[in-house]
Amino acid sequence: MFKFVDCIDAGTEYCPCYLAEKGECIICSQLRGRVFCDCLNWKGTCIYQEYTWNNNKAKKAREFKEYTVKKLNMIRDDLILMEVSVNPYLAKQLNNIGAFVFLKRPKSPQCFATPVSIMKSDIKNNIITLAIKILGVKTKDILECKDKIEIKGPYWNGVQGQIFIKNLKNSEVLISARGVAAAPCVMLANKLKKSNNNVVVILDKGRSNENFAKKEFLDLGCKVYDVDMIKYSNYTLKEELKQLIIELMRKHDFKVTVSGGSDEFHRLYLNFIYSMDKDIKFVTINNSLMTCGEGVCGSCQLKLNNGQIIRGCKQQYNPAEVFINIKGDVNI
Amino acid sequence: MMVIVIGGGWAGCAAALQAKKCGAEVLIIEKTDMLLGLGNVGGIIRNNGRWTAAEEMIALGGGDLFEIADRCARHKNVEFPGHKHATLYDVNIIEAEVRKYLYSMGINIMFENRVVDVEMEGRRIKSVYLHDGTEIEGDVFIETTGSTGPIGNCLRYGNGCSMCILRCPSYGPRISISMRAGVEDLQGLRGDESFGAMSGSCKIEKDSLSKELQEKLDKDGVVIIPVPKEDINLDKLKNKVCQQYALKEFAENIVLLDTGHAKLMTSYYPLEKLRKIPGFERARFIDPYSGGKANSIRYLSMAPRDNHMKVIGIDNLFVGGEKSGLFVGHTEAIVTGTLAGYNAVRSGLGLNLVELPTSLAVGDIIKFENESKQTIEGLKQRYTFAGAIYFERMKELNLYITDVEKIRKKVEGLFLKDFFKNKII
Ligand SMILES: Cc1cc2nc3c(=O)[nH]c(=O)nc-3n(C[C@H](O)[C@H](O)[C@H](O)COP(=O)(O)OP(=O)(O)OC[C@H]3O[C@@H](n4cnc5c(N)ncnc54)[C@H](O)[C@@H]3O)c2cc1C
Ligand SMILES: Cc1cc2nc3c(=O)[nH]c(=O)nc-3n(C[C@H](O)[C@H](O)[C@H](O)COP(=O)(O)OP(=O)(O)OC[C@H]3O[C@@H](n4cnc5c(N)ncnc54)[C@H](O)[C@@H]3O)c2cc1C
Ligand code: FES
Repeated sequence: MFKFVDCIDAGTEYCPCYLAEKGECIICSQLRGRVFCDCLNWKGTCIYQEYTWNNNKAKKAREFKEYTVKKLNMIRDDLILMEVSVNPYLAKQLNNIGAFVFLKRPKSPQCFATPVSIMKSDIKNNIITLAIKILGVKTKDILECKDKIEIKGPYWNGVQGQIFIKNLKNSEVLISARGVAAAPCVMLANKLKKSNNNVVVILDKGRSNENFAKKEFLDLGCKVYDVDMIKYSNYTLKEELKQLIIELMRKHDFKVTVSGGSDEFHRLYLNFIYSMDKDIKFVTINNSLMTCGEGVCGSCQLKLNNGQIIRGCKQQYNPAEVFINIKGDVNI
Repeated sequence: MMVIVIGGGWAGCAAALQAKKCGAEVLIIEKTDMLLGLGNVGGIIRNNGRWTAAEEMIALGGGDLFEIADRCARHKNVEFPGHKHATLYDVNIIEAEVRKYLYSMGINIMFENRVVDVEMEGRRIKSVYLHDGTEIEGDVFIETTGSTGPIGNCLRYGNGCSMCILRCPSYGPRISISMRAGVEDLQGLRGDESFGAMSGSCKIEKDSLSKELQEKLDKDGVVIIPVPKEDINLDKLKNKVCQQYALKEFAENIVLLDTGHAKLMTSYYPLEKLRKIPGFERARFIDPYSGGKANSIRYLSMAPRDNHMKVIGIDNLFVGGEKSGLFVGHTEAIVTGTLAGYNAVRSGLGLNLVELPTSLAVGDIIKFENESKQTIEGLKQRYTFAGAIYFERMKELNLYITDVEKIRKKVEGLFLKDFFKNKII
């Protein structure tokens, strides 16, 4: 069985990390208690070599730093759009598919750290744009931010299945997104458009009849459709959405489709698409619960179909392996 | 029948060629942009018992690659300490010649593709996966990935990545395919029982040597210069792969051979020291690029095999070259690779597998190496027709023959003339 093993931080300046130091590296056998090479996923650097040259220590981990809030708009009673002025390094590093940061109000303790995706990163003016849905204790705390906010980053594992889109060119991609999960999809669409892909977007109308990110997609030159996606009485995909997808799939030759929603939505959506097209590749927004982002705390752990346990904050998986129920007993 | 060869070094080329000659469809998957692997930086053939082995293979009908190497020779009949009648092929032209020949035989080659995993069906390999997840199905598989590196091994057991011809940083690391299929690797040992061994020669850009040295190399193929007394390091010999060159003469002298580059018969040599030697004032390394500091580490990844070259525990995986044992050399890789290719096809057809007779050196070495490496002492040895214990054995058993006619007669007497030319599909 092809082991799809990937650590999003491997080969970056944050590699090797604490895991290597403790003999738990995800990729390198020499840093996982073995004495011979059995590299699980070569990404251009030898982690063991980096570790040795770094005096057998982990590289410095990311830390919270204070930045200036440029704008904080309530675009709905429970949704804020925030612009933060960051340094050029962070702006560039966050201008990537799957980029996210941890946010917290200055002086709030570490346990308030909240993972939030990057919707846009303006690398000319070094401004990042975030959309945050106010839900509970952590996000309410962010709402209390005045002109300063603390950010820890960059992180990149906010999107799963990156292997299918990183080098995609001159192709066609279907994005279906709901609510605040549309934010990381904007970054995705931006990158896909830059590689000359045709991007078609279906957005859930939701409560306000139009997703907050619709304008962003239109500005990028995507074709956008608004529909009602979910029948809440039994949590299934609405006929309206299914018909639109069938029609679009007839018209286009989608190589990849992106699911922007909860894990429940991923499951419904991926199985529905898979029932019509067995070759299409799936990309999903990462909904793991994250606390440290460094592969240490374990709150993001999940079990793959093959029984393997991985850390959702650092490791990539193939969404098809996680959400598609081959037996077909998911009600689509 | 589809035979998939993983790794296109000398062993892989020989295996592919033989499987093709037997009538199979053949695909070589090679991680770099070149065939021959370490063969791109070697060059010495036909020295000592390798002469016999090459002629036995030619008589057996498996001499195609030796004929190409002979054609690419820069020097024939060269003598240097402990070694007689060597041929030095030109490393700068031979790869293209072999590639052309394999293509002309209808062998398919995928370059810049690295095999990273296998799909099993019980004890059989069903398919292999490339680094990008592409699945490639086959009927029989031959692993000839060598035993060199990758970076982590060169670091743990050597002086770090020396930037050798396999270019791991560019093309990714070697991994053990047999281990992915569930069979534990064996490792070679050094004199002090630490793992692996360091490659024993490096190459200097010939143009960076003095005119006199260049001229002498071009004319004779060999130059011997005494090492400055203070630099003689006999300990370095113990770590060396090539026990056939682990002679005092090689510590006390600088032995240069002309293989297109100037082959320096030592693992590595600090550049500052090297440049103090007359004629070397402007010397620079061309392989490994960091030959002033390190060389590649080998023999950490052998699959247990039988004398048919089949991996024990897997029904359709064969091995050749350094993957198949503590063999050193192009000749040894070609011999073991050829048998692996032949038996791979037989196994695909459900036929019984063959061993080469031990009355021939090419058959004896395969059996002898396999028996010897069962012991710790045996794991400390390297096996080559060119020297060390195996050449001694050849001499003792009268297997070392340089009379070509006599070798041909011997092979004919075994009814094995042109054995490897038989199509079996
Ligand atoms: C990579 C990533 C990117 C995200 N991007 C965005 C974004 O752009 N905009 C946005 O509004 N939200 C985003 N989220 C979700 C956001 O982190 C949670 O909504 C937030 O942490 C809720 O915390 P709370 O204390 O306000 O609510 P709580 O009442 O504690 O929780 C409400 C729900 O939020 C989720 N949640 C709680 N804590 C976490 C946590 N530590 N990590 C992940 N999910 C949690 C749970 O599903 C929980 O049921 C992202 C999450 C991840 C993992
Ligand atoms: C510096 C040096 C000088 C030498 N000089 C001589 C000499 O003069 N004469 C002599 O007889 N011997 C010499 N040798 C030894 C000889 O070169 C080797 O023993 C022999 O060539 C080994 O052949 P091989 O096919 O087993 O392995 P290799 O040559 O190592 O070939 C393995 C091939 O597999 C490829 N590969 C590895 N992993 C993968 C993968 N996962 N997927 C796809 N491809 C993969 C590699 O890129 C490589 O091309 C020398 C060795 C060195 C290092
Ligand atoms: S969030 Fe802590 S281990 Fe993944």
